[in-house]
Amino acid sequence: MAAWSRLMLLGLALAASSEPSIENLSVSVNGGQVLVGFHLTNGLDADTRERIASGLPTSFLYELELMRDRKHWWDHNVDATVIEVVAMYNAVTREYLVNTKQGGRLIESRTVRDEVELEHAMTEFAAFPAFNLESDPDRSRFLVRIRVDLGPGAVLGIIPYQRSTAWKESNKVRIRAVEP
Amino acid sequence: MDFRERFAQHRKDGRYVAAALVLVLAFLTLIYYLIQRGRDLPSVLVTNKVLLFVLVYADALLILVILFVLARNMLRLWLERRQRALGARFKTKLVATYVGLSLVPVLLLFFYASELLQGSIDRWFSSSLRSVLEQSSAVAQSLQREIGDRNYREALRVARSLANVKLDEAESRAALTPRLAAWRDESGVAFLGVYLETDFLNAVVDPQSGLNDLPEVGRALLIEAAEKGRSNRVLLPAGGRGRLILSAAAGTAPSGTRRLVVVAGTLLDAVTSGQSEELIQSYQTYRQLQVQKRDFAASYWLMFVLVTLLILLASSWVGLFLARRLMLPIQALAEGTRRVASGDLDQRIDVPTDDEMATVVDSFNKMTEELRRNREEIERSHFDLVAVNRRLAEERALVGAILENLAAGVIALDPEDVVLSTNAAALDLLGQRETELVGRSLKEAWGGSERSRLALLIESAKDHPHQSSEVSLVLGGERRTFEVKVSDLRDGAGRNSGKIVVLEDLSDLIKAQKLAAWTEAARRIAHEIKNPLTPIRLAAERLRVKHREGDPAIGELLEESVVIIVREVGKMQALVDEFSRYARMPGPQLAATAIDGLVAEVVALYRDVKPGVAVRTALAPGLGEVWVDPEQLRRVLINLIDNALEATEAPGFVEIRGERLVDALGERLVLAVSDAGAGIAEEDREKLFLPFFSRKKRGTGMGLAIVQRIVSDHNGSIRVTDNLPHGAVFTIELPVR
Repeated sequence: MAAWSRLMLLGLALAASSEPSIENLSVSVNGGQVLVGFHLTNGLDADTRERIASGLPTSFLYELELMRDRKHWWDHNVDATVIEVVAMYNAVTREYLVNTKQGGRLIESRTVRDEVELEHAMTEFAAFPAFNLESDPDRSRFLVRIRVDLGPGAVLGIIPYQRSTAWKESNKVRIRAVEP
Repeated sequence: MDFRERFAQHRKDGRYVAAALVLVLAFLTLIYYLIQRGRDLPSVLVTNKVLLFVLVYADALLILVILFVLARNMLRLWLERRQRALGARFKTKLVATYVGLSLVPVLLLFFYASELLQGSIDRWFSSSLRSVLEQSSAVAQSLQREIGDRNYREALRVARSLANVKLDEAESRAALTPRLAAWRDESGVAFLGVYLETDFLNAVVDPQSGLNDLPEVGRALLIEAAEKGRSNRVLLPAGGRGRLILSAAAGTAPSGTRRLVVVAGTLLDAVTSGQSEELIQSYQTYRQLQVQKRDFAASYWLMFVLVTLLILLASSWVGLFLARRLMLPIQALAEGTRRVASGDLDQRIDVPTDDEMATVVDSFNKMTEELRRNREEIERSHFDLVAVNRRLAEERALVGAILENLAAGVIALDPEDVVLSTNAAALDLLGQRETELVGRSLKEAWGGSERSRLALLIESAKDHPHQSSEVSLVLGGERRTFEVKVSDLRDGAGRNSGKIVVLEDLSDLIKAQKLAAWTEAARRIAHEIKNPLTPIRLAAERLRVKHREGDPAIGELLEESVVIIVREVGKMQALVDEFSRYARMPGPQLAATAIDGLVAEVVALYRDVKPGVAVRTALAPGLGEVWVDPEQLRRVLINLIDNALEATEAPGFVEIRGERLVDALGERLVLAVSDAGAGIAEEDREKLFLPFFSRKKRGTGMGLAIVQRIVSDHNGSIRVTDNLPHGAVFTIELPVR
């Protein structure tokens, strides 16, 4: 294999490895709540960090869809929700304010003081109660898929587009009916 | 749709153009207003991706519209050129000029403005400015950091000092307040507080510092300090004046279960904190703008593109519209010219313009109208000409038919005596085919043959137009006599364009005349014979009667009757002798004869013969000698002078003229005897030269017959004409040799 093709493959691999993606997607159930855990890798690239450091509000939109598994057919979309994480830096106090909203409602607001905490606050979700299935009588196999909108980008600097990750699907989870 | 409707439609388009221009102007004004207002808007809004979306798609839409307008017009122009529509090339040039004139300056302006914008943005985000702002922010933050560090050192010193103090005892805690106040005064901080992790124990505030109340130290600060040993916060103090910089240091609690946290705070005054924050915020704003630099430039660039495209669209569209509008009368003229060229002279251009094109259009319409009138006139003339030609053709056909059916031969000659045309009778009379005659000169057609005499006669007719002559030719072994009449052929302008020769075959007529003459001669002979026979018969019958009666006077009667019979027989004898002489007249004995002398001799015979009637001569000089029979010519002159004297009453005269005539027929002697008598009656002229024809009481009627016989034997001719105002002229023409 020619050296240049090896270099090309290496470049492609590096580019793919630096792309944002959802990792460690897990789904668990607590009562009627569907708890979702996941981690966004490579979400805070240099541009995003610079944007946050400049004090501009910067947000990630996590789109979550709860699907009912159907064999030999497309899965049925049972529910969907959007988790928005907005970070804003205050240069005077040197703190990052991180607000988490679900469906437009603020559910958490916290202040972090360094970038490690900031990245954790924006990209790490552990057992986040995303859906509530108490009203759904049909407790069969479910799965969750998730995608992140990382904000707008621009091709050639002038043509805007929405930067987002690919959809990531969880394992199928069987949810037993809750005893009355 | 005709040009008027299309033009009217485009005139309406003119209002649309005005409305479109007003809209574009309003839109540009709105954009200018937004740009002006945009200066006051937060940069986040200016560089908002939604705005970018809107601008990009507006630009894309305008580009599509412009491309559509241009492509549509280019396609239309291409189709028109392909279909070779009139004015397509000119229209293409016009549109290219308009669009080019609008495109080039707009694009130049756009590129210049883009470069200007990019340069301005680069200058805004210059490295020197960034360095200044960054250093300013760093100074402001280092001020906070130094204060925080000092606070932390003081807090840590206090925490270490309190390490062995049992703070859960009331006494110790009571003694804490003055110690804290002393440390506060010693360190110069505005606030000094002691916490057992998150539980408040004691705190002092310096009232001179401007801090009016204990600040709300957040649990987060205390927890962080307890966990990490140190933490910092900047708070807005109660009352909102200045900034309170807090630093927390963790120490070891005497109880050993919870950590001691000491918080020291220094109040920055409002001015210093405001300036510090402003420096920090300025740098933050700069960083925000830098982050949004590309979006910022893209937004303005897209706005430039938008405005450029709008101007381009407006200018291109107006250019196309003006080109179309300008082309309408030109196309109408071109179309009208094409139709006029194809013969449609009813074409009229009705383009309601009021500029110079109106003059051109008006001139075109006048020209077309003039052409139409001229064509109608020409068509009328053409129809008339066709009718005239048809009539002429009919007349020509009629004339041709008449000529073809005419018994007389007709030959048309050009001025060079080349035969132009002939009729069948002429060919028949001359015994020639048309190809032998038509297109040839007379010399070529008739030269070297008997017909050459006819050619000479026609040639000689130049000097005697409208005169008829007789010529006798031997054609096909048969002698034929023709009367030849030559007339000038003149065109409508009176110019001589040749001759018309009419040939009439007199052979049969002459035969008939001879037959009639001989019949008349026989009748006269019979009459002349019968005249003496009657007295002879009467004398003989009277003798027989007297003899039967036995009349004694029969002897006298016999004598008397014999005298009568002898006398009448003598008359008959004389008649027979005269006729015999006419019949037996010998051929002429030609000799060179001096005509002057011969005439003088004859005239001398008649001097004083008839009183009051003179006989005189008028001979041209140089008559000379002529080859004639002098005796026969003398007899001719005597007969003619006898007749003339008898016809002329006194006073009067008889004149003998003589001359030599030279023409195409050759040299001839012409002698003419004229009298001043009653002349010859028209009806007698045909019989004048017949034997025994006479209007005189005496005479045999053989005189002129003998004269004509002698002249004919000399190959000459004799004719009689009127001698105006009275009398007759007998003219003899004799060949000199």
